[in-house]
Amino acid sequence: MTWPVADLDAIRRLRALAAAVPGAIVAETVIDAPFDQVWAVAADLEDELPAYLPDVRSFTITSRDGERLEARARGYAGLRARFDVVLRPGWCVMRSRFLLGGMAAFPDGDQTRFAFLGGTHLPAQRATAPALALAGRWAGPKVITRFVDRVHQRGAG
Amino acid sequence: MTDTGRLAGLVQAAQRGDGLALAEVLDVLTLAVGRWCGPIALQDADDAAQEAMIAILRGLRGLRDPAALFGWARAVAVREAVRVARRTEREQPAELTSLPAPGDPMLAADIQDVLSRLTPEHRAVLMLRDLEGLDERTAAALLRVPAGTVKSRLARARASFRKEWQA
Repeated sequence: MTWPVADLDAIRRLRALAAAVPGAIVAETVIDAPFDQVWAVAADLEDELPAYLPDVRSFTITSRDGERLEARARGYAGLRARFDVVLRPGWCVMRSRFLLGGMAAFPDGDQTRFAFLGGTHLPAQRATAPALALAGRWAGPKVITRFVDRVHQRGAG
Repeated sequence: MTDTGRLAGLVQAAQRGDGLALAEVLDVLTLAVGRWCGPIALQDADDAAQEAMIAILRGLRGLRDPAALFGWARAVAVREAVRVARRTEREQPAELTSLPAPGDPMLAADIQDVLSRLTPEHRAVLMLRDLEGLDERTAAALLRVPAGTVKSRLARARASFRKEWQA
């Protein structure tokens, strides 16, 4: 006999994280592709992240220790940032000095529930408008569309 | 550094606004929040767990002693689970006096069925006592209900559960 246990799935956890981060936005979608195909795109930060994030020109992993990564991002608008990353199947959180990014996914039959988080982890009074705008773009509809396109392109390839 | 020291450092970093540390605190608490909210919120448990985690992460800055994270988070989660369960409960739960007597075939039903016969507050006390090992006074204080009332109303329910678990 066992007690009932609540399931705090990856997307619920990402929503909870966003609720505690100033200006954070979560965008969710259901992707018509299996989890492994979706997460192959999500986890391939170096090759795929610049393909769906409009502000990022390159994203280079500089060290890797289990699920902890360090990366260097370069952008088109002069963005240069070092990111600390936690990456594991279904869960990714990325933190630079100003930004917090995240992805979460879990399988739902033949489809995959997927979510992006964009936010700034600065205290609300120190979060600048450009940082908040950039954070918003990270979880904007354009990014979701590009990401889904990459999943289907990769699945077809 | 000890696990306690590492956890305290993590909480302090999250309190300073470090989003990655906040995500790690979330990781550390995820299983426990699921365990605390499940028996209280039942069919609404997943929603309750999400609400509880939001309340915990938002309230983290107010936690004075980082080493007290789990005890503090448990209190927040239990109150949130009770709130969600009360908000969404569609049927008025039966009084405890209508619980099946020992030996009643209804006791063979699963624990979820028995829990659904209790109010959210009573489910919370039962979970805190029998799953978390808190004494009645502490459990009642956490839920802000009188200890004496809790004791008398739950005695019979606990006996029923014990019989089931030992079967």
